[in-house]
Amino acid sequence: MTKLIIDAGTSWSKILEISCKADFKSIILSVNKDFQQYQIQESKFFYDKDNKKFFGNLFLIPSTLAATLPVEFDNATGHMVKKRIKSGGYYENEVISLAYGAKKLVKNLKDATIVDIGSRDLKWVQFIDGKYKDLDWNSSCGSVTGATVDMLCKFYNVDPNKISIQTEKIPLVCGVFAMEKIMDDISKNTPADIAIAKYLHGIAYNTWKFAKKPQKMYLSGGFCSNNCFTETLKLYCDVVPLGRYVLLKGLF
Amino acid sequence: MSKNKLIGMWGFPDPEILNQIKLKYPGFEIIDLDQNLNHPNTELLPDNSCKIIKNIVDNAVYLKNNLELIIASVGEEKCDAGRFAARILTELGFNIIETKYNKTCTKKIKIPVSTSDLPLKQKVLTIMDNIIVPVKKEFRIKKADYGFWGVPPNDISILDLFPDNTHVYGWTRCVEAGAPADLDLEMFVDENIPTVFYAQTFCAKMQLGKHLARKYNGLYLDVDDVASNSVKAKIEAFIRLG
Repeated sequence: MTKLIIDAGTSWSKILEISCKADFKSIILSVNKDFQQYQIQESKFFYDKDNKKFFGNLFLIPSTLAATLPVEFDNATGHMVKKRIKSGGYYENEVISLAYGAKKLVKNLKDATIVDIGSRDLKWVQFIDGKYKDLDWNSSCGSVTGATVDMLCKFYNVDPNKISIQTEKIPLVCGVFAMEKIMDDISKNTPADIAIAKYLHGIAYNTWKFAKKPQKMYLSGGFCSNNCFTETLKLYCDVVPLGRYVLLKGLF
Repeated sequence: MSKNKLIGMWGFPDPEILNQIKLKYPGFEIIDLDQNLNHPNTELLPDNSCKIIKNIVDNAVYLKNNLELIIASVGEEKCDAGRFAARILTELGFNIIETKYNKTCTKKIKIPVSTSDLPLKQKVLTIMDNIIVPVKKEFRIKKADYGFWGVPPNDISILDLFPDNTHVYGWTRCVEAGAPADLDLEMFVDENIPTVFYAQTFCAKMQLGKHLARKYNGLYLDVDDVASNSVKAKIEAFIRLG
Protein backbone atom coordinates (compact mmCIF):
# COMPACT_ATOMS: atom_id res chain seq x y z
CA MET A 1 0.00 0.00 0.00
CA THR A 2 1.32 3.45 -0.89
CA LYS A 3 2.44 5.59 2.02
CA LEU A 4 3.09 9.31 1.74
CA ILE A 5 5.51 11.21 3.95
CA ILE A 6 5.86 14.98 3.68
CA ASP A 7 8.02 17.85 4.91
CA ALA A 8 5.77 20.76 3.99
CA GLY A 9 7.88 23.87 4.14
CA THR A 10 6.58 27.35 3.54
CA SER A 11 7.75 27.46 -0.09
CA TRP A 12 8.61 23.87 -1.00
CA SER A 13 7.19 20.50 -0.04
CA LYS A 14 9.44 17.47 0.05
CA ILE A 15 7.41 14.29 -0.37
CA LEU A 16 8.37 10.63 -0.24
CA GLU A 17 6.03 8.12 -1.84
CA ILE A 18 6.73 4.66 -0.50
CA SER A 19 5.69 2.54 -3.44
CA CYS A 20 7.11 0.79 -6.47
CA LYS A 21 4.59 2.57 -8.65
CA ALA A 22 4.57 6.29 -9.15
CA ASP A 23 0.88 6.82 -8.35
CA PHE A 24 1.58 10.10 -6.67
CA LYS A 25 2.82 11.64 -9.88
CA SER A 26 -0.49 10.94 -11.60
CA ILE A 27 -2.34 12.50 -8.67
CA ILE A 28 -0.28 15.66 -9.07
CA LEU A 29 -0.80 15.70 -12.84
CA SER A 30 -4.55 15.33 -12.37
CA VAL A 31 -4.47 18.62 -10.44
CA ASN A 32 -1.81 20.45 -12.38
CA LYS A 33 -0.50 19.46 -15.79
CA ASP A 34 2.45 21.80 -15.36
CA PHE A 35 3.85 19.35 -12.85
CA GLN A 36 5.99 17.93 -15.67
CA GLN A 37 8.45 20.65 -14.75
CA TYR A 38 8.78 19.14 -11.27
CA GLN A 39 10.21 15.73 -12.05
CA ILE A 40 10.68 12.96 -9.49
CA GLN A 41 13.95 13.87 -7.82
CA GLU A 42 15.01 10.34 -7.02
CA SER A 43 13.58 6.80 -7.28
CA LYS A 44 15.63 4.48 -5.14
CA PHE A 45 15.87 2.30 -2.05
CA PHE A 46 15.77 4.01 1.34
CA TYR A 47 16.33 2.63 4.84
CA ASP A 48 14.03 3.24 7.79
CA LYS A 49 15.18 3.69 11.39
CA ASP A 50 15.16 -0.10 11.89
CA ASN A 51 17.40 -0.39 8.83
CA LYS A 52 14.62 -1.97 6.79
CA LYS A 53 14.98 -1.35 3.08
CA PHE A 54 12.11 0.03 1.00
CA PHE A 55 11.61 1.59 -2.41
CA GLY A 56 10.40 5.14 -2.76
CA ASN A 57 10.02 8.15 -5.02
CA LEU A 58 11.13 11.55 -3.84
CA PHE A 59 9.24 14.65 -5.01
CA LEU A 60 9.96 18.34 -4.65
CA ILE A 61 6.96 20.52 -5.43
CA PRO A 62 5.78 24.00 -4.46
CA SER A 63 3.79 23.97 -1.24
CA THR A 64 1.02 25.91 -2.97
CA LEU A 65 0.62 22.90 -5.29
CA ALA A 66 0.90 20.38 -2.43
CA ALA A 67 -1.92 22.22 -0.66
CA THR A 68 -4.32 21.50 -3.55
CA LEU A 69 -3.67 17.75 -3.80
CA PRO A 70 -6.55 15.45 -2.80
CA VAL A 71 -4.43 13.31 -0.47
CA GLU A 72 -3.71 12.85 3.21
CA PHE A 73 -0.30 11.97 4.56
CA ASP A 74 0.93 9.19 6.80
CA ASN A 75 3.77 11.09 8.49
CA ALA A 76 4.38 14.80 8.28
CA THR A 77 6.39 17.75 9.45
CA GLY A 78 6.37 21.43 8.47
CA HIS A 79 4.17 24.48 8.74
CA MET A 80 1.69 23.67 6.02
CA VAL A 81 0.29 20.23 6.68
CA LYS A 82 -0.93 19.75 10.25
CA LYS A 83 -4.56 19.24 9.28
CA ARG A 84 -3.92 16.76 6.47
CA ILE A 85 -2.71 13.70 8.31
CA LYS A 86 -4.38 10.30 7.97
CA SER A 87 -6.02 8.81 11.00
CA GLY A 88 -3.30 6.74 12.67
CA GLY A 89 -0.57 8.89 11.10
CA TYR A 90 1.54 11.35 13.03
CA TYR A 91 2.90 14.89 12.93
CA GLU A 92 6.40 15.65 14.16
CA ASN A 93 7.66 19.13 14.86
CA GLU A 94 10.45 20.45 12.66
CA VAL A 95 13.21 20.52 15.26
CA ILE A 96 12.63 16.90 16.21
CA SER A 97 12.48 15.90 12.54
CA LEU A 98 15.76 17.72 11.98
CA ALA A 99 17.37 15.93 14.93
CA TYR A 100 16.17 12.48 13.81
CA GLY A 101 17.15 13.17 10.21
CA ALA A 102 20.61 14.27 11.32
CA LYS A 103 21.03 11.13 13.40
CA LYS A 104 20.36 9.14 10.25
CA LEU A 105 22.62 11.15 7.94
CA VAL A 106 25.60 12.23 10.02
CA LYS A 107 27.94 9.36 10.77
CA ASN A 108 29.90 11.05 13.54
CA LEU A 109 27.81 12.93 16.06
CA LYS A 110 30.72 13.44 18.46
CA ASP A 111 30.44 17.21 18.14
CA ALA A 112 27.96 18.09 15.42
CA THR A 113 25.81 21.15 14.83
CA ILE A 114 23.12 20.62 12.21
CA VAL A 115 21.47 23.78 10.89
CA ASP A 116 18.37 23.95 8.73
CA ILE A 117 17.67 27.16 6.84
CA GLY A 118 14.14 27.28 5.54
CA SER A 119 12.22 29.78 3.52
CA ARG A 120 11.31 31.71 6.59
CA ASP A 121 13.19 30.34 9.56
CA LEU A 122 16.38 28.99 10.99
CA LYS A 123 16.77 26.09 13.38
CA TRP A 124 19.63 24.02 14.68
CA VAL A 125 20.39 21.05 16.89
CA GLN A 126 23.72 20.17 18.45
CA PHE A 127 24.88 16.68 19.43
CA ILE A 128 27.86 15.91 21.64
CA ASP A 129 29.07 12.32 21.93
CA GLY A 130 26.00 11.13 20.04
CA LYS A 131 23.58 12.74 22.50
CA TYR A 132 21.41 15.81 22.10
CA LYS A 133 23.05 18.84 23.71
CA ASP A 134 21.40 22.09 22.57
CA LEU A 135 18.93 23.57 20.07
CA ASP A 136 17.32 26.76 18.95
CA TRP A 137 14.72 27.88 16.44
CA ASN A 138 14.36 31.42 15.28
CA SER A 139 11.28 32.11 13.23
CA SER A 140 10.89 35.83 13.79
CA CYS A 141 14.22 37.68 13.51
CA GLY A 142 15.48 34.99 11.14
CA SER A 143 12.41 35.09 9.01
CA VAL A 144 11.92 35.20 5.27
CA THR A 145 15.53 34.41 4.47
CA GLY A 146 15.44 31.79 1.72
CA ALA A 147 12.22 33.24 0.35
CA THR A 148 13.82 36.69 0.07
CA VAL A 149 16.74 35.34 -1.96
CA ASP A 150 14.32 33.47 -4.25
CA MET A 151 12.22 36.59 -4.79
CA LEU A 152 15.19 38.87 -5.40
CA CYS A 153 16.77 36.51 -7.90
CA LYS A 154 13.50 36.28 -9.82
CA PHE A 155 12.83 40.01 -9.66
CA TYR A 156 16.32 41.04 -10.83
CA ASN A 157 16.67 38.08 -13.18
CA VAL A 158 19.79 36.83 -11.41
CA ASP A 159 20.88 33.19 -11.74
CA PRO A 160 21.53 32.04 -8.14
CA ASN A 161 24.21 29.67 -9.45
CA LYS A 162 26.22 32.53 -10.90
CA ILE A 163 26.53 34.76 -7.83
CA SER A 164 30.07 35.24 -6.51
CA ILE A 165 31.10 35.59 -2.89
CA GLN A 166 31.30 39.12 -1.49
CA THR A 167 33.47 39.90 1.52
CA GLU A 168 31.17 42.77 2.42
CA LYS A 169 27.91 41.80 4.07
CA ILE A 170 24.49 43.31 4.61
CA PRO A 171 24.34 42.55 8.30
CA LEU A 172 20.66 41.69 8.57
CA VAL A 173 19.13 38.26 8.79
CA CYS A 174 15.51 39.38 8.53
CA GLY A 175 14.49 39.40 4.89
CA VAL A 176 11.94 42.16 5.40
CA PHE A 177 14.54 44.64 6.66
CA ALA A 178 17.19 43.34 4.28
CA MET A 179 15.00 44.02 1.26
CA GLU A 180 15.22 47.76 1.91
CA LYS A 181 19.03 47.66 2.21
CA ILE A 182 19.42 45.56 -0.94
CA MET A 183 17.23 47.85 -3.00
CA ASP A 184 19.04 50.85 -1.58
CA ASP A 185 22.34 49.28 -2.65
CA ILE A 186 21.01 48.59 -6.15
CA SER A 187 19.69 52.14 -6.46
CA LYS A 188 23.30 53.29 -5.85
CA ASN A 189 24.35 51.33 -8.95
CA THR A 190 25.54 48.18 -7.20
CA PRO A 191 24.81 45.28 -9.59
CA ALA A 192 21.91 43.15 -8.31
CA ASP A 193 23.99 39.96 -8.12
CA ILE A 194 26.52 41.71 -5.88
CA ALA A 195 23.84 43.16 -3.60
CA ILE A 196 22.24 39.71 -3.29
CA ALA A 197 25.64 38.16 -2.57
CA LYS A 198 26.17 40.70 0.22
CA TYR A 199 22.83 39.68 1.68
CA LEU A 200 23.81 36.01 1.39
CA HIS A 201 26.95 36.87 3.33
CA GLY A 202 24.78 38.49 6.02
CA ILE A 203 22.62 35.36 6.25
CA ALA A 204 25.70 33.10 6.37
CA TYR A 205 27.29 35.13 9.16
CA ASN A 206 24.08 35.34 11.19
CA THR A 207 23.40 31.63 10.71
CA TRP A 208 26.85 30.78 12.07
CA LYS A 209 26.40 33.20 14.97
CA PHE A 210 22.88 32.00 15.77
CA ALA A 211 24.16 28.41 15.89
CA LYS A 212 26.72 29.52 18.53
CA LYS A 213 29.69 29.73 16.15
CA PRO A 214 30.45 26.04 15.54
CA GLN A 215 33.76 25.02 13.92
CA LYS A 216 31.87 22.72 11.59
CA MET A 217 28.31 23.01 10.40
CA TYR A 218 26.13 20.34 8.81
CA LEU A 219 23.80 22.31 6.57
CA SER A 220 20.22 21.33 5.73
CA GLY A 221 17.77 23.01 3.36
CA GLY A 222 17.61 24.61 -0.06
CA PHE A 223 20.70 26.74 0.57
CA CYS A 224 22.81 23.56 0.27
CA SER A 225 22.57 23.99 -3.50
CA ASN A 226 23.43 27.70 -3.44
CA ASN A 227 27.14 27.68 -4.07
CA CYS A 228 27.65 31.32 -3.17
CA PHE A 229 26.01 30.75 0.21
CA THR A 230 27.93 27.60 1.13
CA GLU A 231 31.25 29.13 0.02
CA THR A 232 30.51 32.29 2.03
CA LEU A 233 29.66 30.21 5.09
CA LYS A 234 33.05 28.54 4.72
CA LEU A 235 34.64 31.89 5.60
CA TYR A 236 33.45 31.11 9.15
CA CYS A 237 33.40 27.33 9.57
CA ASP A 238 33.71 23.99 7.78
CA VAL A 239 30.50 23.20 5.94
CA VAL A 240 29.00 19.79 5.15
CA PRO A 241 25.85 20.11 3.01
CA LEU A 242 23.27 17.43 3.78
CA GLY A 243 20.70 18.48 1.18
CA ARG A 244 17.10 19.53 1.54
CA TYR A 245 15.60 16.19 2.64
CA VAL A 246 17.01 15.99 6.17
CA LEU A 247 13.70 16.69 7.95
CA LEU A 248 11.86 14.30 5.64
CA LYS A 249 14.37 11.56 6.41
CA GLY A 250 13.77 12.16 10.11
CA LEU A 251 10.21 10.92 9.63
CA PHE A 252 10.93 7.27 8.82
CA MET B 1 -17.90 42.94 33.06
CA SER B 2 -18.33 41.24 36.44
CA LYS B 3 -20.66 43.02 38.86
CA ASN B 4 -18.83 41.59 41.89
CA LYS B 5 -17.03 43.96 44.18
CA LEU B 6 -13.38 43.20 43.78
CA ILE B 7 -10.09 43.63 45.56
CA GLY B 8 -7.22 43.58 43.07
CA MET B 9 -3.73 42.34 43.87
CA TRP B 10 -0.51 41.52 42.09
CA GLY B 11 2.77 39.84 42.88
CA PHE B 12 3.07 38.58 46.44
CA PRO B 13 1.51 41.04 48.88
CA ASP B 14 2.57 40.97 52.53
CA PRO B 15 0.31 38.17 53.90
CA GLU B 16 -0.44 40.14 57.05
CA ILE B 17 -1.76 43.11 55.08
CA LEU B 18 -3.67 40.81 52.72
CA ASN B 19 -5.34 39.13 55.71
CA GLN B 20 -6.30 42.48 57.20
CA ILE B 21 -7.90 43.48 53.92
CA LYS B 22 -9.74 40.18 53.71
CA LEU B 23 -11.18 40.73 57.19
CA LYS B 24 -12.09 44.34 56.43
CA TYR B 25 -13.83 43.48 53.15
CA PRO B 26 -15.73 40.22 53.67
CA GLY B 27 -17.58 39.08 50.59
CA PHE B 28 -15.21 40.82 48.19
CA GLU B 29 -13.61 38.64 45.57
CA ILE B 30 -9.83 38.93 45.41
CA ILE B 31 -8.52 38.92 41.88
CA ASP B 32 -4.92 38.45 40.70
CA LEU B 33 -4.35 41.23 38.16
CA ASP B 34 -1.12 39.60 36.87
CA GLN B 35 -3.17 37.14 34.86
CA ASN B 36 -4.07 37.56 31.22
CA LEU B 37 -7.84 38.11 31.45
CA ASN B 38 -8.04 39.20 27.79
CA HIS B 39 -9.23 42.70 28.64
CA PRO B 40 -8.63 45.44 26.05
CA ASN B 41 -5.16 46.93 25.61
CA THR B 42 -5.23 50.40 27.16
CA GLU B 43 -1.92 51.31 25.47
CA LEU B 44 -0.97 53.18 28.64
CA LEU B 45 2.40 51.41 28.71
CA PRO B 46 5.00 51.28 25.92
CA ASP B 47 4.74 48.30 23.56
CA ASN B 48 8.03 46.89 24.82
CA SER B 49 6.82 46.44 28.38
CA CYS B 50 6.52 43.13 30.19
CA LYS B 51 3.15 41.55 29.33
CA ILE B 52 2.43 40.79 32.98
CA ILE B 53 2.69 44.49 33.87
CA LYS B 54 0.53 45.34 30.86
CA ASN B 55 -2.02 42.80 32.18
CA ILE B 56 -2.03 44.56 35.56
CA VAL B 57 -2.74 47.96 34.04
CA ASP B 58 -5.22 46.72 31.42
CA ASN B 59 -7.14 44.57 33.93
CA ALA B 60 -7.25 47.38 36.47
CA VAL B 61 -8.55 49.93 33.98
CA TYR B 62 -11.18 47.54 32.61
CA LEU B 63 -12.37 46.55 36.11
CA LYS B 64 -12.06 50.04 37.59
CA ASN B 65 -15.73 50.39 38.56
CA ASN B 66 -15.64 47.09 40.45
CA LEU B 67 -12.31 47.53 42.19
CA GLU B 68 -12.52 48.80 45.74
CA LEU B 69 -8.75 48.86 46.06
CA ILE B 70 -5.60 47.20 44.77
CA ILE B 71 -2.91 45.65 46.95
CA ALA B 72 0.28 46.20 44.98
CA SER B 73 3.58 44.37 45.47
CA VAL B 74 6.26 46.99 44.99
CA GLY B 75 9.30 45.49 46.71
CA GLU B 76 12.04 43.09 45.61
CA GLU B 77 9.42 40.33 45.58
CA LYS B 78 8.04 41.94 42.40
CA CYS B 79 9.98 44.42 40.27
CA ASP B 80 10.52 48.09 39.43
CA ALA B 81 7.91 47.84 36.70
CA GLY B 82 5.37 46.77 39.33
CA ARG B 83 6.37 49.72 41.51
CA PHE B 84 5.94 52.13 38.59
CA ALA B 85 2.59 50.55 37.67
CA ALA B 86 1.41 51.24 41.23
CA ARG B 87 2.33 54.90 40.85
CA ILE B 88 0.68 55.18 37.42
CA LEU B 89 -2.54 53.60 38.68
CA THR B 90 -2.51 55.89 41.72
CA GLU B 91 -2.31 58.86 39.37
CA LEU B 92 -5.22 57.38 37.39
CA GLY B 93 -7.35 57.52 40.52
CA PHE B 94 -7.09 53.95 41.82
CA ASN B 95 -6.98 53.24 45.52
CA ILE B 96 -3.59 51.51 45.85
CA ILE B 97 -2.15 49.93 48.96
CA GLU B 98 1.56 49.31 48.42
CA THR B 99 3.25 46.42 50.21
CA LYS B 100 6.81 45.17 50.33
CA TYR B 101 7.59 41.62 51.35
CA ASN B 102 11.31 41.04 51.12
CA LYS B 103 11.37 37.97 53.31
CA THR B 104 13.99 35.31 52.61
CA CYS B 105 13.83 31.62 53.45
CA THR B 106 14.32 29.85 56.70
CA LYS B 107 16.50 26.76 56.36
CA LYS B 108 13.67 24.26 55.91
CA ILE B 109 11.39 25.28 53.11
CA LYS B 110 8.10 23.61 52.35
CA ILE B 111 7.40 23.17 48.66
CA PRO B 112 4.97 20.23 48.39
CA VAL B 113 3.22 21.57 45.28
CA SER B 114 6.41 22.34 43.31
CA THR B 115 7.56 18.75 43.79
CA SER B 116 4.16 17.05 43.51
CA ASP B 117 2.71 14.73 40.88
CA LEU B 118 0.20 17.34 39.70
CA PRO B 119 0.35 18.40 36.04
CA LEU B 120 2.72 21.36 35.75
CA LYS B 121 0.00 23.90 34.94
CA GLN B 122 -1.97 22.75 37.96
CA LYS B 123 1.14 23.07 40.14
CA VAL B 124 1.74 26.67 39.08
CA LEU B 125 -1.93 27.70 39.37
CA THR B 126 -2.22 26.04 42.79
CA ILE B 127 0.85 27.91 44.03
CA MET B 128 -0.50 31.24 42.81
CA ASP B 129 -4.03 30.58 44.12
CA ASN B 130 -2.47 29.74 47.46
CA ILE B 131 -1.45 33.40 47.87
CA ILE B 132 -5.10 34.40 48.07
CA VAL B 133 -6.67 31.32 49.65
CA PRO B 134 -4.27 28.91 51.37
CA VAL B 135 -4.67 25.38 50.03
CA LYS B 136 -4.99 22.82 52.79
CA LYS B 137 -4.36 19.57 50.99
CA GLU B 138 -1.81 16.76 50.94
CA PHE B 139 0.26 16.35 47.76
CA ARG B 140 2.07 13.26 46.55
CA ILE B 141 5.73 13.91 45.82
CA LYS B 142 6.99 12.74 42.44
CA LYS B 143 10.65 12.38 41.45
CA ALA B 144 11.61 15.03 38.90
CA ASP B 145 12.77 14.16 35.40
CA TYR B 146 12.39 17.75 34.14
CA GLY B 147 12.37 21.23 35.58
CA PHE B 148 10.49 24.42 34.85
CA TRP B 149 12.16 27.58 36.17
CA GLY B 150 10.48 30.94 36.13
CA VAL B 151 7.32 32.92 36.68
CA PRO B 152 3.80 31.83 35.72
CA PRO B 153 3.80 32.50 31.96
CA ASN B 154 1.35 34.96 30.44
CA ASP B 155 0.54 32.14 27.98
CA ILE B 156 -0.10 29.52 30.62
CA SER B 157 -0.86 26.89 27.93
CA ILE B 158 2.85 26.28 27.40
CA LEU B 159 2.88 24.45 30.73
CA ASP B 160 0.68 21.76 29.17
CA LEU B 161 3.69 20.71 27.09
CA PHE B 162 5.57 19.40 30.14
CA PRO B 163 5.10 15.96 31.68
CA ASP B 164 3.76 15.67 35.24
CA ASN B 165 7.20 14.73 36.56
CA THR B 166 8.36 18.32 36.09
CA HIS B 167 9.34 20.19 39.24
CA VAL B 168 8.86 23.94 39.67
CA TYR B 169 11.83 26.22 40.33
CA GLY B 170 12.61 29.93 40.31
CA TRP B 171 10.24 32.67 41.48
CA THR B 172 7.21 30.37 41.48
CA ARG B 173 8.97 28.03 43.93
CA CYS B 174 9.91 31.08 46.03
CA VAL B 175 6.22 31.99 46.16
CA GLU B 176 5.33 28.55 47.43
CA ALA B 177 8.09 28.76 50.03
CA GLY B 178 6.64 32.10 51.17
CA ALA B 179 9.89 33.88 50.26
CA PRO B 180 9.25 35.67 46.95
CA ALA B 181 12.36 37.87 47.23
CA ASP B 182 14.85 35.13 48.07
CA LEU B 183 17.38 35.36 45.27
CA ASP B 184 19.34 32.29 46.42
CA LEU B 185 16.24 30.13 46.30
CA GLU B 186 15.24 31.70 43.01
CA MET B 187 18.57 30.70 41.48
CA PHE B 188 18.46 27.14 42.79
CA VAL B 189 17.86 24.24 40.40
CA ASP B 190 18.67 20.53 40.53
CA GLU B 191 21.60 20.61 38.18
CA ASN B 192 21.17 17.10 36.77
CA ILE B 193 17.59 17.67 35.70
CA PRO B 194 16.99 19.10 32.20
CA THR B 195 15.32 22.42 32.90
CA VAL B 196 13.52 25.00 30.81
CA PHE B 197 14.34 28.52 32.01
CA TYR B 198 11.41 30.78 31.24
CA ALA B 199 11.05 34.56 31.52
CA GLN B 200 8.58 37.07 30.19
CA THR B 201 10.14 39.16 27.43
CA PHE B 202 11.17 42.62 28.75
CA CYS B 203 11.31 41.31 32.33
CA ALA B 204 14.61 41.69 34.21
CA LYS B 205 14.41 37.99 35.07
CA MET B 206 15.52 37.33 31.48
CA GLN B 207 19.04 37.99 32.78
CA LEU B 208 18.81 35.25 35.39
CA GLY B 209 17.08 32.83 33.04
CA LYS B 210 19.70 33.14 30.32
CA HIS B 211 22.56 32.94 32.80
CA LEU B 212 21.15 29.85 34.53
CA ALA B 213 20.34 28.11 31.24
CA ARG B 214 23.96 28.54 30.19
CA LYS B 215 25.25 27.42 33.58
CA TYR B 216 23.08 24.29 33.77
CA ASN B 217 22.83 23.52 30.07
CA GLY B 218 19.10 24.12 30.03
CA LEU B 219 16.78 25.68 27.48
CA TYR B 220 16.29 29.43 27.79
CA LEU B 221 13.03 30.93 26.56
CA ASP B 222 11.49 34.33 26.74
CA VAL B 223 8.01 34.90 25.43
CA ASP B 224 6.18 38.22 25.20
CA ASP B 225 2.49 37.50 24.74
CA VAL B 226 1.38 34.20 23.21
CA ALA B 227 3.94 31.46 22.58
CA SER B 228 4.64 30.88 18.89
CA ASN B 229 4.72 27.42 17.35
CA SER B 230 8.51 27.54 17.31
CA VAL B 231 8.64 28.19 21.07
CA LYS B 232 6.31 25.26 21.66
CA ALA B 233 8.35 23.07 19.32
CA LYS B 234 11.56 23.98 21.15
CA ILE B 235 10.06 22.89 24.47
CA GLU B 236 8.75 19.68 22.94
CA ALA B 237 12.11 18.93 21.32
CA PHE B 238 14.03 19.71 24.52
CA ILE B 239 11.85 17.27 26.45
CA ARG B 240 11.86 14.54 23.79
CA LEU B 241 15.54 14.73 22.90
CA GLY B 242 16.97 15.53 26.31
